[in-house]
Amino acid sequence: MNWLGLRTLLSKEVRRFLRVPGQTVLSPLISTSLYFVVFGVSLGGRMEQATGHPYLPFIVPGLIFLGMANNAFLNSSSSLFIMKIQGTVVDLLVAPLGAGEILLGFVGGAMVRGLLVGLLTWAVALLFTPLQLVHPLATLGFLLGTAYVFSVLGLVAAVWAEKFEQINFFPTFVMLPLTFLGGVFYSIRQLPEPWHTVSLFNPMVYMVEGLRYGMLGSTVFPPVLGGTLLATMALVATLVTYALLARGYKLKQ
Amino acid sequence: MSRPVLDIEQLVKRYRDVVALDGVSLQIGAGEIFALLGPNGAGKTTLIGAVCGLVKKTSGRIHLFGIDLDVDALGPRFQVGLVPQEVNFDPFFTVTESLRIQLGYYGRPPDEARIAEVLEALDLSAKANAQTRTLSGGMKRRLLIAKALVHAPKLVFLDEPTAGVDVELRRDLWAYVRKLRSQGTTVVLTTHYLEEAEELADRVGIINEGRLLLVEDKRALMRRMGTKRLVVAFQSPVPRLPEAYAGGGVLSEDGKGWVYTERPGHPGVGEVLRGLYAAGLPVQEVETRASKLEDVLIEVLHGGGGSQR
Repeated sequence: MNWLGLRTLLSKEVRRFLRVPGQTVLSPLISTSLYFVVFGVSLGGRMEQATGHPYLPFIVPGLIFLGMANNAFLNSSSSLFIMKIQGTVVDLLVAPLGAGEILLGFVGGAMVRGLLVGLLTWAVALLFTPLQLVHPLATLGFLLGTAYVFSVLGLVAAVWAEKFEQINFFPTFVMLPLTFLGGVFYSIRQLPEPWHTVSLFNPMVYMVEGLRYGMLGSTVFPPVLGGTLLATMALVATLVTYALLARGYKLKQ
Repeated sequence: MSRPVLDIEQLVKRYRDVVALDGVSLQIGAGEIFALLGPNGAGKTTLIGAVCGLVKKTSGRIHLFGIDLDVDALGPRFQVGLVPQEVNFDPFFTVTESLRIQLGYYGRPPDEARIAEVLEALDLSAKANAQTRTLSGGMKRRLLIAKALVHAPKLVFLDEPTAGVDVELRRDLWAYVRKLRSQGTTVVLTTHYLEEAEELADRVGIINEGRLLLVEDKRALMRRMGTKRLVVAFQSPVPRLPEAYAGGGVLSEDGKGWVYTERPGHPGVGEVLRGLYAAGLPVQEVETRASKLEDVLIEVLHGGGGSQR
């Protein structure tokens, strides 16, 4: 294992996104803050009447998940994809860095950005609603698990994509609908059939509910379900990505 | 040759129906400068890519520093540097940061003295803290070379390193390549500037359509295939030339110019010149021209003089 190589790649990935903080940290933070203002403060009263629960604390875990998942995915996907387009990926492929080092380097950098955005979103939430952290370990597990899974998925997208249109496909056509329909802004208990049943096939629902369990102590599903799903997704995504990188799929001629 | 630094056996690379490398075998020894020559699309970059991990070979074996890359693809690469053909740069970092990152990839901690040495050698010291995107084209090319050399590799591949750069950089680079060789570094060079190969190479390989047509010591090759020409202008028309040389040259229609080509078994240029004066011919001007590597390359590509190893 080339530990120094791995540490260098990871540190380069973190410094890369910190060089453009307005785009990588501030921009998602402003979007999430607007969600708090629009959904939490403006419409929150009406939603409370519908659910019978305080709405602002309810959406905090979902918004943290939203910011974290999006930014973890965008970091690894855009970084490797840009390296492919600019040709700097040659530096990585020629260097004595194996699939494991490349995977962990990109994923580590993306997790840092995802967690940073998630934690800053939480900090913004504290301006509107008091801190709630019922199960700290479960919260930490779901935060890390979510950041990891979406970082790896971002890497898969970057390996696969050859055009800008393709790299935008996942965030626009897969992640956006799944996160918005993943119980971030509502409880799936409120959904009528058949949408309630359809939602059960959306993996994001279990991740959001898992985080909600950790922070608020209440959830629709047993947290072990979300934990198992996250662990399975992490394992499968890791194996697939490792295999793609080891084969040099769409990276080597 | 002692144990070769690079040993390639029957290397084949196919892209669907196209054979990019067709059973290439090549050995390169420690401390030599080897120039790989051939037209565009001949397989030069594919060959380098297969050794450096950018191209997946179809079959064959590659040993780097005695290690089979099928057994350990990464270990030997700590000692390899590559200057790729296409200029690339990471716009997020400065010149020095790029070199620190490169050192780290190769398992070496930041070494400011080494970075300063490489920057100095490539005349980039003044740009050490400049963002890479602000560099001129020639400076970006220098940075590419600096990145390939900063971890002090034992084997360096220079794939068209001076394409599109000014004469000054070309000369600087040649001097630096000679310095590298004097320090024991092996250099494999591809270039379209045959003057560059002629100037630097100890051995040359000529590749075309994925096949290695010739590998030979450059001086031996030039002796074997090189020719000399004598171009003579006469003050007044010459009706005919001495019998001994007449067959080796071509007299112009007006009888005032004659071009003699020295070939094996024929008199040398010096002897011919002495003979012209001895015969009392009205020689006005004389020019000699030795054939260049370019002429030899063209001859080999057209089917002459190949298969020396």
